[in-house]
This record gives sequence, structure tokens and C-alpha cells, in this order.
Amino acid sequence: MPIQTDGMVVSNKRIKSVYYLLGINCTPIADQSKPGQFVMVKVSDDRSPLLRRPFSVYKSYPVSYPEKRKRGCLFILYKQVGKGTRMMTTLKRGEKVDLIGPLGNGFILPPLPSSTNIILIGGGVGIVSLSPLAEALKGRKLFVFIGGKTQHDILCVEDFKIFNSNIFVATEDGSLGTQGTVVDLFLSQRKKFKRDEECYLYACGPVEMLKALAGIVKLNNFVCQASLEARMGCGFGACWGCVVKTNHPKTSYQRVCKEGPVFTLKDILWE
Amino acid sequence: MGITMPSIRNPDLSVTIGKIKLRNPVIVSSGTFGFGEEFEDFFDLNHLGAIISKGISLKPMKGNPPPRIFETEGGIINSIGLQNPGFQEFIKNKLPYYKDLKTHLIINFFGNTQKEYIELARRFDRIPGISGLEMNISCPNIKRGGIVFGTNPHMAYRLVQAVRKATTLTLIVKLSPNVTDIALMAKSAEDGGADAVSLVNTFRAMAVNIYTQKPELGNVIGGLSGPAIKPIALRMVWEVSQAVHIPIIGMGGIMNAEDAIEFILVGASAIQIGTANLIDPKTGIKVIHGIRKYLIRNKIGCIQKLIGTFG
Repeated sequence: MPIQTDGMVVSNKRIKSVYYLLGINCTPIADQSKPGQFVMVKVSDDRSPLLRRPFSVYKSYPVSYPEKRKRGCLFILYKQVGKGTRMMTTLKRGEKVDLIGPLGNGFILPPLPSSTNIILIGGGVGIVSLSPLAEALKGRKLFVFIGGKTQHDILCVEDFKIFNSNIFVATEDGSLGTQGTVVDLFLSQRKKFKRDEECYLYACGPVEMLKALAGIVKLNNFVCQASLEARMGCGFGACWGCVVKTNHPKTSYQRVCKEGPVFTLKDILWE
Repeated sequence: MGITMPSIRNPDLSVTIGKIKLRNPVIVSSGTFGFGEEFEDFFDLNHLGAIISKGISLKPMKGNPPPRIFETEGGIINSIGLQNPGFQEFIKNKLPYYKDLKTHLIINFFGNTQKEYIELARRFDRIPGISGLEMNISCPNIKRGGIVFGTNPHMAYRLVQAVRKATTLTLIVKLSPNVTDIALMAKSAEDGGADAVSLVNTFRAMAVNIYTQKPELGNVIGGLSGPAIKPIALRMVWEVSQAVHIPIIGMGGIMNAEDAIEFILVGASAIQIGTANLIDPKTGIKVIHGIRKYLIRNKIGCIQKLIGTFG
């Protein structure tokens, strides 16, 4: 159940280039947040920017978490792109932030046979929502594909290293890993995996990436859950501003914030 | 438990719009409050004066292609395109939730033709649990959506008159600001038999992305709302209040109680919260508390004594 409440900043630091990690103590949200869910942050008390901004929850620690310091905290890994995120970088420890969350339907974790290859594909800051998913899939062997424009856009590699995973990195300029897109890299590694139906995909990234991936998913028998990024008005289903076209029989435009952000990739009709 | 009588310490916030007696003048606006249920996690909806549903048409509408929303300085431009499940689906799946609430439900509706407006008014008239109708003759986002009726005073008059005959429910006409003389439009609605007018809907607007050299909205044009439009909306409510005798429901960029009081002072009997619901879902409640505090501080025992007292 989403809650609107004030959280308190516990840390806010640059991790690399334009990427920052914001830690907020906010027990009611941290306690119930699931992989793939997001929060709406009121960046400024002022009217500029006016709307809240959506951020996927990178890490959340319930009150029962053994390490006392982290209990009730949630972390947002964000990219500074515009005015709102620039203002976020100035948030200081002890300051209050108005949050709504956790929002949306997160990733579904169906019981999969141990022979299934679980493949995670993240583009740019999209990898952030796959990190808590990997945590939830602990114990399973994962194949993780991480892509970005340059080496500076490759995030969270260390997170996946602690799990039993094979990590593949692609950058568009070739400054780290294979040159090309993360979807190209995944395609080139296809033969590593067993038959299509024994693969289960999770993806998050920009529209272009998901579109390219959708083409591959369509040609094969992959099941893929994809988390979508969208411009949002409210984040909790009231305005119908963040819709995406789907094959839903009645309501073709579904809300990314409410019915999503995670959808079955083959249900999305790309325009 | 006795009934607390209104007094200077406990001011009377109730106002009357047509046949509807609202416990307070704060209404949440169509299209910014989903189907109500999206807000139940945030506060008790029963405290609101009234809730207005998302706009309902006879047949389902799929809405405009995304992107549908774009933030500008102090405002947002939207082009949702009146996406809604249509009358039947609304009655079956959305109305039951509203019926369990103790606050008033006002249905916002629109048609493509006069016949459709009349048909919808007639159908809603027979359904229990509905306190009133808000007729949308002002959506800027679809060619049909009523804007044709909303910009021509004679057509507006005829349409309101026809709908008036189809329902005994309180009839509110929602006006477009995209006209030369909004007072004339309000007068046409009054003459046609409207119980009240609500204004303003959004201002036709657009935004361009200079990097992609494309429009920011899938529909190119949308409607601007939010604090950016408040001064213009306020002027329009003031103009309308001098032209009509029926109650006015004022809206346009109301973010807090101070904004709401401005609208009341220039002649609004009630106000609607729109864009602010999306940013702070509890805005409605905060505005109610703020108005109450203002009345107490100024020793005004009854909000009706405040309506239109400016100047």
C-alpha cells in the first residue's frame, strides 16, 4: 500500500560521473518495497519543478534487517539529467524529503526449475531496478548483461559480482567491455544458453533498448518481464499521463505507474 | 454526542450548488482524481466537499497517443484525450466504489453530439448515488470533446437547454477559457438552465523539443494547467461572477488554501483542486483546513459571508 510521508536524508553522494546515490531513512516505505517498485520524490518545496519525479528503488532495508544502521532505509541511484535531479544532488544529510511509495507492480518471481537460465538485461540507469531483483533471486545462477553509452554509464557491476552470476558488459563507444548495444551483446551470446523456452528474461532500460529486445523476444520463445521508463504525472494512477500501448483487450493504453512499470514485454505494442 | 453549532471558532463551511449541499467548498476536479480509489491510501475521501469523476462518454475512449504529459514552468500540459471506459463499464466497475463513500459524487460527462449529451444525462439521471452532473463542453484535447459547443455561445445555450430537460440532477457546465468572452459563455449556460458553472478548464498549449525537433506531446496540442494559469483563471472567475447569478465553481492552478480563498473572494461559491492532486494527493484536505483557519483568524462564522466580497 503506497504511503505519502517524509523521509530523512542519511547520505547523498556522487558515485561516478553524473550518477548519485541518495540514502533516505523512511521505514514505512523501505519496509514494504519490492524489486521493481518505485518512489515519487518531491524534489523541491518550491513550484519548480512542479511534479514529483519517479525513481526506482535501488536498495531497501526492512526494520528487521540485521545491520542496525541500514534499517528502514531506502536508496535511490539516480542520474543527474535536468533541473530536478540537479536539485536532488544538493540534498544534505538530515534534510527531509517528501516521498510517495512504494508504487507500481514490481517484478514477478515465478517458481522456475533450477535448469532455467535467468537472464538480466539492463541499459543505463535501468540496471538499478535489476539489482534488488538479483538479491531476491539469490542462490540462482544469473546471466547479467549491462550496457551503457560509455564506461561511465556502466553501473552496479559490483552488486552482481557477489551473486552467482556471469556478467557481460557492452558500451556503445567500446570504452568498456564489448562495443555495441547490450541487446547486440545478448544476441551474440545466445548460443551459450539452452533452448529458448529454458530462458527467463528480466529487462529494464530506455525505450530503444526494450524495443530492440522486443524484436528478439518475438522471434523466439523467451518470456521477458520488462520494466518501463515513462514521463509521469502523479505516479499513483490518477492522471493517465504515463500510458503505454498494450495488447490488452479492453484498455489498450495501460498506465506505466499502476499496471506497470513491469510488463510482459511481448504485450507492449511499440508505436 | 451533540451537534456542534457553527460559530466563530467552528465556522460553517457548507455551500449549496443547485440541489447539492456541500459540507465544504472543496471539490476535486475531473481527470485529476482518477476514479477516487487511487487516493484512498492517502486520506479519508469523505472529508471532501465533493468528488468529480473522470469524464465519461457513451462509448469507451482509448485516449491520445503518448507522451501525454509535459511539465512547463509552473504548469503541466496534458493531452490525455479523455480516456475512459464508457458509460456501461463505468456503472459496472467504477461507480460501486464511489457509492460506498459519504461525500457527494458529481459525474463529469461529454458527448460527440447533442444527442449523446442528452442520452448520457438521461441515463445518469436514473442512477442512484449520483448528486450532480458536470457537463464538459471544454476539453481541448479532442476535436469532438465538446469544445465546439464550448466556444459558441448560441450552441452552448441550445445544448445546455436540451440537457437540462433530460435531467433533474444538479447540472454544472464546465467552461473553456479558450474563448474571447467567458462571461458570455457563462451567461449562455445560465440562460440554458444550468444550476452552476465551473471554470476554467485548461488552456490550449504546446511545447517543442529542440533536440528532436518534434512536439513534446503525442497529440501536439494539449491543455495547460497548474499555478501558471492561476492569475488568468482568477480574472475569468471574477468576470463571470459579475455576469451571472448562479453559483460559480472556480478552478485553475489552486495549490493551497490561500489560492482557494482568492477564488472565493472574487465570487466562487466552491473551488476545484486539479493539478495539485497529482503532486500532493492530500491537497484537498489541506485546503479545507486552511480555509477553516482563515475564517477563524478573521472571525468569519460562515464561508458564505466571504463569497464575492472582494473589492
